Amino acid sequence: MPANETRQSTAIDSRLLRDLKKLLGKDGVLHKPEDLLLYEYDGSVEVARPDCVVFPRTAEDVVGIAQLANRHKIPLVGRGAGTGLSGGAIARHGGIITSFARMNRIVEIDADNQRARVQPGVVNADLSTAVEHLGLHYAPDPSSQKACTIGGNVSENSGGPHTLAYGVTTNHVVALEIVLPSGELVHLGSTALDAPGYDLTGLFVGSEGTFGLVTEITVKLTRLPEAIKTLLAIYDSIDDATETVAEITARGITPAACEMLDGWTIRAVEDYVHAGFPLNCSAILLIDVDGLREVAEAEAKDVEDVCRRHRAREVRVARDARERDLLWKGRKNAFGAAGRLAPSYYTQDGVIPRTKLPATLRRISEISKKYGLQIGNVFHAGDGNLHPIILFDERNEKQFRDTIRAADEIIEFCIQVGGSITGEHGVGMEKDRLMPLLFSEADLNLMRRVRDVFNPTGLLNPGKILPDSKGCGEIYVRPQPASAAPPA
Amino acid sequence: MAAPLASGFAGADKPEYADYSRCIHCGLCLNHCPTYRLWHQEADSPRGRIRQMHLVDEGRLELGAGFVTHIDRCLDCRACETACPSGVEYGKLVELARTQIEQRYKRPLASRAARDFVYRRLLPYPKRIAAAARILWVYQRSGLAALARSSGALRLLGLQQRERLMPEIDSKFFFSEMGKTYPARGARRARVAFFAGCVAQVTFSDLNRATIRVLQANGCEVVVPANQVCCGALPAHAGVRDVARDLARANLAAVPEKDFDAIITNAAGCGSTLKEYAHLFGGNDASHQPAARFASKIRDVSEFLAELGLTAPLRTLPLRVTYQDSCHLAHGQKIREAPRKLIRAVPGVELVEMPWADQCCGSAGVYNVTETKASLELLGLKMGSVRETKAQAIVTANPGCILQLRAGAEIHGTGHEVLHVVELLDRAISRRD
Amino acid sequence: MSMTSTEIASRLAEIAGAANVASDPAQTAAYRVDGKTPAAVARPGSSEEVAGIVKFAAAERLAIIPTGARTKLGIGMPPRQYDLALDMTGLDRVVAYDPGDLTLSVEPGITLRKLESVLGEHKQFLPLEVPFMDRATAGGTIASGVDSPLRQLYGTARDYLLGMEFVTGDGVATKSGGRVVKNVTGYDIHKLMAGALGTLGVITKINLRTFPMPRMTRTYVATFRWANGACEFRHAIARSHLRPQSIEIIAARDSSLLRLDDRPEALFDKGRWSVLVSAAGEAGVLDRYRSELETLARGADRNALESFTELSDADQERLTSYIREFPALAPKASQPAAILKISALPKSLVGLAEGIRSMAIKHDVPWAVMMRGVGVTYLALMARDQSAESLRHLKDACSSALRCCVERMWGRGVMLWCPPEFKREMNVWGESSSDFALMQKLKNVFDAHGIFAPGRFVGGL
Repeated sequence: MPANETRQSTAIDSRLLRDLKKLLGKDGVLHKPEDLLLYEYDGSVEVARPDCVVFPRTAEDVVGIAQLANRHKIPLVGRGAGTGLSGGAIARHGGIITSFARMNRIVEIDADNQRARVQPGVVNADLSTAVEHLGLHYAPDPSSQKACTIGGNVSENSGGPHTLAYGVTTNHVVALEIVLPSGELVHLGSTALDAPGYDLTGLFVGSEGTFGLVTEITVKLTRLPEAIKTLLAIYDSIDDATETVAEITARGITPAACEMLDGWTIRAVEDYVHAGFPLNCSAILLIDVDGLREVAEAEAKDVEDVCRRHRAREVRVARDARERDLLWKGRKNAFGAAGRLAPSYYTQDGVIPRTKLPATLRRISEISKKYGLQIGNVFHAGDGNLHPIILFDERNEKQFRDTIRAADEIIEFCIQVGGSITGEHGVGMEKDRLMPLLFSEADLNLMRRVRDVFNPTGLLNPGKILPDSKGCGEIYVRPQPASAAPPA
Repeated sequence: MAAPLASGFAGADKPEYADYSRCIHCGLCLNHCPTYRLWHQEADSPRGRIRQMHLVDEGRLELGAGFVTHIDRCLDCRACETACPSGVEYGKLVELARTQIEQRYKRPLASRAARDFVYRRLLPYPKRIAAAARILWVYQRSGLAALARSSGALRLLGLQQRERLMPEIDSKFFFSEMGKTYPARGARRARVAFFAGCVAQVTFSDLNRATIRVLQANGCEVVVPANQVCCGALPAHAGVRDVARDLARANLAAVPEKDFDAIITNAAGCGSTLKEYAHLFGGNDASHQPAARFASKIRDVSEFLAELGLTAPLRTLPLRVTYQDSCHLAHGQKIREAPRKLIRAVPGVELVEMPWADQCCGSAGVYNVTETKASLELLGLKMGSVRETKAQAIVTANPGCILQLRAGAEIHGTGHEVLHVVELLDRAISRRD
Repeated sequence: MSMTSTEIASRLAEIAGAANVASDPAQTAAYRVDGKTPAAVARPGSSEEVAGIVKFAAAERLAIIPTGARTKLGIGMPPRQYDLALDMTGLDRVVAYDPGDLTLSVEPGITLRKLESVLGEHKQFLPLEVPFMDRATAGGTIASGVDSPLRQLYGTARDYLLGMEFVTGDGVATKSGGRVVKNVTGYDIHKLMAGALGTLGVITKINLRTFPMPRMTRTYVATFRWANGACEFRHAIARSHLRPQSIEIIAARDSSLLRLDDRPEALFDKGRWSVLVSAAGEAGVLDRYRSELETLARGADRNALESFTELSDADQERLTSYIREFPALAPKASQPAAILKISALPKSLVGLAEGIRSMAIKHDVPWAVMMRGVGVTYLALMARDQSAESLRHLKDACSSALRCCVERMWGRGVMLWCPPEFKREMNVWGESSSDFALMQKLKNVFDAHGIFAPGRFVGGL
């Protein structure tokens, strides 16, 4: 057990357990230690064990769960597919995890008004698949879209490669049904636009599960583009690639996506995916332009022109959907491919103004040299969202510590150039300690009081986003990943 | 920190840290796992199962009933491998976990006896398979089956659904073809060995014959090597690795791979094991190199024909079909296009894709017998997807899938015909109507 | 309030300088809201001064209304209390503009026209084509929540708002969000501030994403004999691959309400339903829009289509500004008038159009309606003349329309503008929704003493 786990709760109250089983049936409650061990992780490196995991099927179930948790003063944490990268779905202080995996029904598809009503456990990509025959899709496309749930997306305000042109989750959610930790069911927003009053939907999206449990979501559906052109630009210098991005932006072209991979990552990916990336280059840009056929064609020409002016060695245009899918497969598998090269890796999620891309990449390279750590760069260049991947061996304690230091130095640089500490992964239990670098005590206080409106006891997803009010500047010891100690 | 706990694994055949630590618990496999999609619990997901292996290895979880249940419930369909961005070899891990269970966990007596009978006393011996099949054949043809069904005896025993999933025994076994050579029709384009399978010889002899005919018609000389035995897939999947190794050695000896352009199988499950024969033996094992050479010659019949190109003239078959990806072809061998290409090659055949075509139908080797309830639920979902396509026939690439889907068509009363890809080709080539 | 206006003014002068404070009724009258005149006006020059003033007001329980160009003060219910106008036009700087990053940070008092020229130098713009364009400030535009026809393509301010700084009711300067285009750090409190009508805090800085200015824009008008054709045309566009910048369906019972002197005649004759579609792009792209839109218009409702035209540059400019100002027809009208904003789903627009027509005929009031393609509708109702009887007709029509929103399920209705005296008997915000209790609690968090525009917003917030 990681030594720094702060939770005090031991076994869950047997009466609570009985009541939960009465509410949800026997197969709706997990409480044996062997089952709980499988809910101590998500997609991040964080770990903490819940006391109980429950599987509601209806909003009424969720109301009942919240009421019970509230009555027993036990923490309550929502969970979708557990693909999050900041520990959002981890019961940091124990308590009940509410898994929405079984609430996975698409309730209504309203093609005429371009809306869908879904339960929180619906998998992101499944919604797009379900409306594809109508010529529609659900636009936000996090890299985990084939597994992550829309409820989780709402909590994290998830982004993705194509959010450059289409916007992130908050731009596509119009209404929510939520259950407050008190057990009260509330509707926020409306299916039609511009509900009078404060924009509670906008406030709720991205609250990382600290405001309420989502039981239904109404989203906008977007028309699929008529044409998509995917370009692959190959560079011998990282600077040329980053300058290309800056000029594409400055020229007023908004690609649907604009991703960059550096040479090291390209080689890792190519070795695994065989996407056709050249092995002897320093960077590639993967760019989608879409829209009307005429628009996509013209923009593709413009983009190609910019790439060449910035000394792209080669610009390839995918000839068909298969070629495009292959190139994108290379991008989407980049993290996994990098993960194959070392026992562990840590992905940072900084954001910078796009004009600072060249400087930031130079800084990352310095940091890499300073610590002697391999850092790969894969990122949403189009919106300045960096994902440096730091490789390390978790069994090497010094390297592990250096990794955290290097990650922090990268984030500090992001802040220094006017950026932010997380673009899409969320603050969660990973970066709460970094919040004071961006926000004053007054800012954080206001956020705390806003949270208290929804979650006055603080028992809904405790230990997330906001640093402990007293604990600013405390030394943070990251829990060791489960794989930290190899079997003897 | 407490002292390191003792691992729950022992011996050589166990999930290794180097393999399972490649899992970055990103969760991308979850929605692709049939059992996660049924029950939505981490314990029944690939990520959760890998975590359980990890925990057992760390000594934090007992190699006990819970672990065994979740590992047993895995279909070993390997859809998770397709979804995995990190290249985790899940199939290998789960087979090794099962080997540990086999060695270190005491199952209830009945289960032990049944497993022992099937894996150690039946599958390795072609003659016993034939004998067992004769008994079943008598049951099925003598009216006993009808009696058992109508009398309600099966329902009483809880066997009614399970019985439907049983293969029907052919009247003419394929064993008689062993050792024969079939000439190419027209100019010889390739010389291949045909791997006939074990259970398939008594239940799919027609399919085997059709496979040979299609190969012949496309210019292949086909040899059916004598002395070949079960490929070992079923014991390997079940964790009975010693038997699997023995079978593999026997096959290495039976099929001189250098004499052939390819060794052909029409069973995706066998093909995937045959292609991974080298995994069964450690790098230092004397059989490792021969196994690797042997494996490099293995081709699924669809893969081989798509690569070779069809030369036999095909007549028009007006048929709307949908294709069910056999797991061990799509996920195990990464072959998706070849069978589709062959289906589309038949004039008049319209291929309509079903949603989630690459999700397991629930057959999964002996899964339909050992985990009948889950198997039937998966089958129900599959038949729902099939219905959406309004296809008249389901085409697939593995005998196990064919049995399962036929049972599905019967249980759900959909009336679908179920064909192997080569049976479809055979029908288009065949002169007799 | 126990202090006299002179006392207030002198205290304010200590904070913001005497030159920036006024208590003379001749000056404060310009800050009147629904007939209430503040005791004093302060025009702070920095966020520190704003914080100082709010602190003072909080201590003295003085009610504040932050103002920009004072063009939209008629929105909402009359304030319960109003002591102090906070004229934010003194904070009008561009704090940072990174054209290469397409991000902008401004103080709230900057006018949209000024921003237009700053961004225009870099061929960029904000898709805020809002009423009172020639005077409106960035802060007033965002705080009032008025929308732009360009929302069809770009969304509303909340969609490209990156972050904000603001002073809460205890006089503390705080912020949320940031200045980069993608950011999930902390709660998106700035989204609450957008459209909150100044009831949560005083905005002191606004960070926005900017957009590349399209090289060419064209507007096409399809005119239909009845509403169904217009709505079907809208639906056909939505089903196509076209991505127009704006779609507006316009009709008027009385074309005088449209106030177009030399209008393209056929478009706005009595009873016609016109659909204005604007698109941006290169010549080839615009050719495609033209031909495809015409085909869609013909296919929408064959018998209903009267004409399809591409507007000349001059007509386009005139119509663009007309559409932009439509939601503010009421405060600009020569007669007493009202604007009802209705939020509906696109598919229900036809029913809504019919409902509006029959309601207006029944009440015998001149009317005009503009329905945005996204479903947001503005209904303008006007009194025939200044007579008491006409005013009564107008009021009845307003009440009836608000009622129809609920009873006939037109959609959520808000009386955006109406003669102030109507508000004595009419809740302009319509009925509160189930999340109102949360809004109330939030209001308490931001403004514990209730000093920010008390009573003006939804449900008396």
